[in-house]
Amino acid sequence: MTDIGTPIDWAPGFIANTTPKIVSGRFEFEDSFTIERAMATGAYNGLKAALAKTPAAVHDEVRGATVLGRGGAGFPAGVKWGFMPPDKWPRYLVVNGDESEPGTYKDRLLMERDPHQLIEGCLIACYATGLSQCFLYVRGEMPLAHERIAVALNDAYEARLVGKNILGSNFSVDIVLHWGAGAYVVGEETALIESLEGNRGMPRLKPPFFPAAVGLYGQPTIVNNIETLANLPWILSNGAQAYAEIGSESSPGTRLVAVSGHVKRPGVYEIVNGLTTFRDLIYGDQYCKGIRDDNELKAFVPGGGSAPWFTPEQLDVPFEGREASAEGSMLGSGAVIVMDETTDIPTAALSLTKFYAHESCGKCVPCREGGTWLEKILTRVVKGQGSPRDLELLLEVGATICPGDFPHASSSRLGLEAQPFPYKMTTICFVGPSAFAPIHSALTLFPEEFEAKLTRRDTIPLMSMPVADATGTDESVGAVS
Amino acid sequence: MGYLDGFRVTFNRLFEERVTTEYPQEKRPKPERFHGRHVLNRYEDGMEKCIGCELCAGVCPAQCIYVRGADNPIDDPVSPGERFGYVYEINYLRCIHCDLCVEACPTEAITESKMFEFSFANRQDAIYTKDELVVDDDGKPQRQPWELWHDGDDALTSGWMRATAPSGSAAHVGQVGWSGELGYGVRSPELGQTAPSDDDPDGGQG
Amino acid sequence: MTDLASASEVNETGVNITINGVRVVAPKGELVIDAAERNGVYIPRFCYHPRMEPVGMCRQCLVEVDTGRGPGLQPSCMLTVSDDMTVDTESETTKRAQEGMLEFLLVNHPLDCPVCDKGGECPLQDQTLAFGPGESRFVEEKRHYEKPIPISDLVYLDRERCILCDRCTRFAKDIAGDPLIHFMHRGNETQVLTFPDDPFNSYFSGNTVQICPVGALTARPYRFRARPWDLAEVESTCTTCSVGCRVAVQSSRNELLRYEGVDIESVNHGWLCDKGRFGFESVNSDQRLAGPYLRDVNNSDQLVGTNAALEAAATAIGAGRGGGGVGVIGGARLNNESAYAWSKLARTVIGTDNIDAQLADGLSAQMVLSLPRATIADATSADNVVVIGTDLKEELPVLFLRLKGAAQSGRIKLTELSLLVTGLSKHASASHRYVPGELAHAVGELLASNPQLASGSTVVVIGRPSAADFPDEVEAAVGVLTAGLPLATFLPALRRGNVMGALDMGLSPGVLPGRVSLDEGRDWFGSVWSSLPGEVGLDTAGMLEAAAAGRLDTLVLLGADPLADVPDRDLVERAFAGVGSIVAIDNFVTESVKRANVVLASTAFAEVGGTTTNLEGRVSRLGQMITPPGTARADWMIAAELAWRLGGDLELESLAQIWSEIEAVAPSHAGCTLEVVEAEGAIEGVVVPIPKSPDLAGAPSGPASIRWSAPALAEPPSVDGYSLRLVARRKLYDAATNTQMAPSLANLAEQAQLMVHPGELRRLGVESGTRVNVTSSRTTVVLSLVGDAAMPRGLAVMGLRQPGLAASELIDLRAAITELRIESR
Repeated sequence: MTDIGTPIDWAPGFIANTTPKIVSGRFEFEDSFTIERAMATGAYNGLKAALAKTPAAVHDEVRGATVLGRGGAGFPAGVKWGFMPPDKWPRYLVVNGDESEPGTYKDRLLMERDPHQLIEGCLIACYATGLSQCFLYVRGEMPLAHERIAVALNDAYEARLVGKNILGSNFSVDIVLHWGAGAYVVGEETALIESLEGNRGMPRLKPPFFPAAVGLYGQPTIVNNIETLANLPWILSNGAQAYAEIGSESSPGTRLVAVSGHVKRPGVYEIVNGLTTFRDLIYGDQYCKGIRDDNELKAFVPGGGSAPWFTPEQLDVPFEGREASAEGSMLGSGAVIVMDETTDIPTAALSLTKFYAHESCGKCVPCREGGTWLEKILTRVVKGQGSPRDLELLLEVGATICPGDFPHASSSRLGLEAQPFPYKMTTICFVGPSAFAPIHSALTLFPEEFEAKLTRRDTIPLMSMPVADATGTDESVGAVS
Repeated sequence: MGYLDGFRVTFNRLFEERVTTEYPQEKRPKPERFHGRHVLNRYEDGMEKCIGCELCAGVCPAQCIYVRGADNPIDDPVSPGERFGYVYEINYLRCIHCDLCVEACPTEAITESKMFEFSFANRQDAIYTKDELVVDDDGKPQRQPWELWHDGDDALTSGWMRATAPSGSAAHVGQVGWSGELGYGVRSPELGQTAPSDDDPDGGQG
Repeated sequence: MTDLASASEVNETGVNITINGVRVVAPKGELVIDAAERNGVYIPRFCYHPRMEPVGMCRQCLVEVDTGRGPGLQPSCMLTVSDDMTVDTESETTKRAQEGMLEFLLVNHPLDCPVCDKGGECPLQDQTLAFGPGESRFVEEKRHYEKPIPISDLVYLDRERCILCDRCTRFAKDIAGDPLIHFMHRGNETQVLTFPDDPFNSYFSGNTVQICPVGALTARPYRFRARPWDLAEVESTCTTCSVGCRVAVQSSRNELLRYEGVDIESVNHGWLCDKGRFGFESVNSDQRLAGPYLRDVNNSDQLVGTNAALEAAATAIGAGRGGGGVGVIGGARLNNESAYAWSKLARTVIGTDNIDAQLADGLSAQMVLSLPRATIADATSADNVVVIGTDLKEELPVLFLRLKGAAQSGRIKLTELSLLVTGLSKHASASHRYVPGELAHAVGELLASNPQLASGSTVVVIGRPSAADFPDEVEAAVGVLTAGLPLATFLPALRRGNVMGALDMGLSPGVLPGRVSLDEGRDWFGSVWSSLPGEVGLDTAGMLEAAAAGRLDTLVLLGADPLADVPDRDLVERAFAGVGSIVAIDNFVTESVKRANVVLASTAFAEVGGTTTNLEGRVSRLGQMITPPGTARADWMIAAELAWRLGGDLELESLAQIWSEIEAVAPSHAGCTLEVVEAEGAIEGVVVPIPKSPDLAGAPSGPASIRWSAPALAEPPSVDGYSLRLVARRKLYDAATNTQMAPSLANLAEQAQLMVHPGELRRLGVESGTRVNVTSSRTTVVLSLVGDAAMPRGLAVMGLRQPGLAASELIDLRAAITELRIESR
């Protein structure tokens, strides 16, 4: 192992290194997505181990392992499963494969490279919670993932691993594969449920409709992320204890992190949860090997496009949810976007804001109108047509989307204290605040870059935009000839 | 001197400037914000400014204005936009020339001229219809047979007569906040009450 | 101790919450927005509508709520009250959120208020003034779309003004069941649109205009006709059909301009059908009859003064009274007071019992008046609801909405028995078909196979399924129902405006005002009315037959058009030929009025006050908004004048005085005084009879209510394999005068055509759309034959009164069923 960290040709973007492999174990095989390879490398052993226990015991095992949700919120899966009302049937498992957070592409690899691990995870989750119907929602832009899961599902059905009386037990599950139509907001669980029901992918308000109580078709529903479920086979095969031994106490196991941007070796890495720091990830030899051209690091987004930004001051924060929150951001969906000293910060913020404004579903007003308005103001500033008033306006418009203090990292350069995560919001889901997050971070941490772009020093009196220049009028008007 | 003292006043007055005018042969200039009869203005391209919104009728304390809107014909629009003033009538037996209609008008379609000399032989004539109120193709008001006009009186029309500045702010003095007008183009800004009156021949110097 | 006791009492009925520092009690499950409004705190809102499921889209109703975990902004339209909740609608945070949302909403909302029909009554305007920021900070270009696009024949959509509150789309999908408008695109480009080539043709489209919180949806009939501030308004009850929706009638300069639905719990929940909503156009029509005229021997019309016309009418009626008899047809258009006046005129002055408000296309008056009556509230809360015969969506649209809503929510179990698939079929838990002529047998089978109908409360909605079938069939079916379900209550689905009021006032042979039969009421009425006819008179069919046989001298058409409405045109033609003279009292010169010798103009809706009665027996006030055209007069005045000219005196002087006489005379209306009907908060009206208070139980109550016994079950007519059985159904938009005189509605009526199952087309060997010869026992006509898989085999379906050809040409009133032979030409 002289060359630690090996890119794998057939898993584009994935880089294997020496950390423990919980979900990416099978990636090293070129044919990892076939049932033959999967069976040969221990797939469905976790399921077998689960079937040997009672569902409650499996549930306890998962709860004991503290598998934090990998979709963004980081809520423990085992606890989430317990929220369903005990007497309401039927109930469903919905698997959220609508990974579309900017910078995130780990679930795509899991779906494309190891569909059987995912199916096994679904089955274990269903067994633990007593479900018999599972829906697998795959993002519309991922045809290969869709195709591989479809093939894997067919094979699994044929091998009696899915369907009636799985592996001879009296446990039966049907898995329905659903292909989305391509909308970022559908990654939000209630919008995903709406989309699955055949409606427009618009989030529902929670409360009162937490999916665990009122979800798909009005029934109790668990919505889990792909990576969360992919952890389950390993846990059942190796035990919760072994899982908890990897990583920190509060964030056990490993997690996949996708790094993009100005690093020498961008890619997806399986890192040790809770212990690996951003410095390890960006500068570590078995990870990204430093900034391109050995430039200086300017800023990085620690948890997908919607997360507030970190600066080099936060490089030593580990991948641990609470610590990241205290520092003013979140780990989100496991995507790090790195910006070096050559980055034009306002433009970078604009490109992220543009995405969220475009991806607004249009349901609630702050996101639909505010997001686009933010984009328009910022565009003006980036084009060099802004005034100081525009910078204030950006923050004021953002304050209507997210009232109160918005989280940001500390900056000794500017003398800023960190404002911890999370924020308050007037929208239903996180798309609206996400349009504001990059602007707020950029403007708070790099105000001088915005000010440098301002050309108009004056402020426009808003209600009295002159329709004509007073000096250009006809002098003869009003004179009696 | 006795009784001749009484003539002193008379003699003194003989050499003072005469203030009596031979009205109606001669007219004195009207104050800046004089409220006369209304005109319905048009844009420089000839389109009518009135959109039939009835705000003037709604605000009128004498209830002398009757307006009805209608769908603007797409192929031959009367005013810009969807709606135009289809019926517009002002009853001058009721009008108190308070100018609230001018204040209310969102398009500066209705303004008051400085012409007030009209007398009617019947009540029907007192109701000015839209045909009579709207300015002609030169942007000048139409002369009705019962109105007393002198040469140049028709030039004393329109003018910005709104008593309040936009947003009520003194900061807007000197700024033009209105659109061009058939026959007049864009009018010069209102410069407050001490500024020259529109129709003062010597520009208010005298 | 006492404090604790009272607190626990409150807890059983509701929860304690604090709104802006004031402790209030709210019932469990109430939304915060409603609880606040009930306590005088208005929270601004756009998407929230009390009659629809909340969606929480506009975010305008965000208020700061503390449920024990610290204050936070919550949408009050989706949050139910909980104990010890603290709501602050005036905090700095709330205010900033409200201002922010309004600023966002106005970012892309064009400020074309002066040309916008909503300007002046616009929730966005009003709430911006009350809760919004003073100025906008948005200086960029707004969103642009093509200005109003017609999304149906009645409704325009301006997407620039739309604030995407989901009200219209929710209404179309959830309330009306016509999901024809929908959100398209997303984010800032989201817009409401119809599907391509699929306009928003809903019978309820006008409601979306009413609930639109901005001027995005506007109705063609009202477009640019007036501004809110020059509308005068009076509340009234719609008399387009017998549901009796509460409406606000709005006019300007003595012209009706708009009806808006008024939300009353018992009837319409604020909704109206488009026919009712836009029917005001017919009142304004320049075709209205503005004065009387006489038709002389040369068949030329001669305009005369009111006196001369009344004199001529009295002469004609007097001639009939002295000779072969007088018959009065119609009266469902009249208000209760006029109906009473005509009932009294016919019985006491003319001395005839030949009077019928129904045109042989309804149900037996005796049956309708004697069945235990249900209310709409009963029908939307009963365990079982059985709908028999009619297509409520076409005939009583708002009753359809209410039943559909109740069925959708699972409150009622809806069973339907009809000839054809109706609008309600897909919402019913069971929908059965039967064959014309076999209704009673089908009802028997239904009861036998659904024993659960006998358990729990059951409401039966029953109407006339097809004007082509003899009405005895329905009576026999009701006989089976009353025998099988002795506890069931009934909602008679009669269609015409105030037909129930007319029947209550005795506009039916053998029926006296107050649901009393002529024979039983003889003593009671003998003491109040001067005289009563000796024997039970003829109904409309009987009168027409008598006239055809030359046994009737004078026919009075009281707002009736028998040529168009009686389902036997041949009989009406013969009757008109055989009768001595015809006196018509109407709003329009209808086909039948053209044949009258004396024509008197009468008032239409909103031109006279009084009361009306809906199908529940609910008496509610009518409002007068405008004056009638020309010399048109109220019907009761015409009756009083005629009585005087015929040598009698009805002793009726005003609407109020007539009503107090009705209250005193009609047993079913006892206690229903004008004070009760007009009482503060009585916009819901009063259902008669009013249950007697126990202390009055012993008081003399007048004659017993009318009784009815079901006819014997007839054998079903035998099947003729060569013929198709005609179903003459009603459509909402047809050739009826009031529809055709409303320009916006006239073109919505489909042309007459005969619809059959495609299998019948194959049997005949013709293509769909071919014109064929259709022969019944009456005549042969040419119709285009259209195949429709929704039609049962063996039936031929046509509209009773569609433009082009009325089914009444083909129907023999006295035949049990109408059989048609179809031949290619």
